[in-house]
Amino acid sequence: MISRVSGTLVSLSMILHIDMDAFFASIEEAINPRLKGKPLIVGSRGNRMHTVVCAANYAAKALGIHSGMPTKRAYSIYSKLEFVAADQAKYIWTSEQIFELLKGFNLPLNYASIDEFQLDLSGCPSPNPVSLGKEIKAQIYAKFNITASVGIAKNWLLAKLASKLNKPDGLTLIDDSNFEQALRKASLDKLCGMGGKAGQILIAKGMKTCWDLYLNLPEFINNNPGKFDENPGKSSEKPKSVSHSYTLPRGQINPQVIQAWIRLLSEMVSVRLRQQDLTSATVHLWLNGPGIGDFVAQKTHQTPTNDGYEVYQRALKIMTKLSHRTPRIRAIGVTCSGLFWSNYQPLLSEEVRREGLIQAIDRINNRFGEGVIYPAITVLTR
Amino acid sequence: MNQNSFSPKARWDRFEPEKSGFNPDALNERIEVLALFKQARIFPKSFLWHDKEYIIETITYNWQERIGQALINYFSVSCAAQIYQISFDNSTFRWQIDKLIQ
Repeated sequence: MISRVSGTLVSLSMILHIDMDAFFASIEEAINPRLKGKPLIVGSRGNRMHTVVCAANYAAKALGIHSGMPTKRAYSIYSKLEFVAADQAKYIWTSEQIFELLKGFNLPLNYASIDEFQLDLSGCPSPNPVSLGKEIKAQIYAKFNITASVGIAKNWLLAKLASKLNKPDGLTLIDDSNFEQALRKASLDKLCGMGGKAGQILIAKGMKTCWDLYLNLPEFINNNPGKFDENPGKSSEKPKSVSHSYTLPRGQINPQVIQAWIRLLSEMVSVRLRQQDLTSATVHLWLNGPGIGDFVAQKTHQTPTNDGYEVYQRALKIMTKLSHRTPRIRAIGVTCSGLFWSNYQPLLSEEVRREGLIQAIDRINNRFGEGVIYPAITVLTR
Repeated sequence: MNQNSFSPKARWDRFEPEKSGFNPDALNERIEVLALFKQARIFPKSFLWHDKEYIIETITYNWQERIGQALINYFSVSCAAQIYQISFDNSTFRWQIDKLIQ
């Protein structure tokens, strides 16, 4: 569906945002055509009653089922829901293949998330961005049998908003001629960053649509980049933090199992730090459970590290701040921030030995598959 | 090209503890496959499983996963109204039937 087609466009900057429609669920429908059109959820885990919805197709969304909802609640809404357990390998592969396909258009390209991509059309000789959007949608459908929605606008925030306005399989252009109309039509929660508390505060102040926001805070919508950073130096590539979290199938009280999860998450975070040649000085621990609510604490150390065992030890020290001795834990998260480029040179023989051990483990996991060799305690997480 | 903002290969993200346990849907049995290798792509045509031949009518989807140095090619295929997931490991040249999808 094309909501607005413009013949000529004179704009200094232009972003084309591609948002895959119910990405994981669409892939599962392509794999198993019997599921097409039926309410379908993709669960984070195989146990359909003890997990959360990580994707819902449009038939399920129409019933009020959405991502992040516990599956028990989804089944209480509609008991005949189709269920598929998530298999990240196929979603990651498809996402990477779409990225490769988009590279073929020879335009500055941004990998925004697993199901979102952005093309910078600024100064692009293409005659018509709408034709380009149609071509991209057609190529994606032909190759993967799944649909995408495309939004085109002067900056990425508006382009992303445009992609949401006519889902699924939509193509929307926001330009000067329909700017007000499009923003009036779009409820505030559709705008990126307005889904949470910020949006609630603004809605409470009477701003119901994106147009209301524009009238009150025009810079919020206007002051977004319409171009990608052309010279991303190494410093701009460095992430602010690296984190992993996990929601357990049910509340866990056994301290050894809880420690095993912290160890596993610490290792996962550390592997990612090492892959990006980073070290971290600050470790954050997040625990969630019925008796403790959200426990969040952090500690900064003088020596940055990317050793999973060290991150684990630091996380355990943070955990001692917890007043409750044997809390029931439902979700755990480990985050490393205060990141530096790694230039660590071990001097002591014990450190040299430890460094060699970590490198050997990384080489084994790179060769035979991640998690082939793992800290023994993490067996308790299996 | 700006791929730094998102990396789909958050390696250990794929680790799923439940997979290690008993999975009643998993078959993981070796099969014999007749396949066409064309233009660097694989097109399975039929497979032999428990002495019965299954003619593949449609490859509904295919994807790949790298596990260490091995590259696994997965195919969801339909044979007589039933959908199966089969896979080919390029390091061992082994075909297997992973599971029944429908």
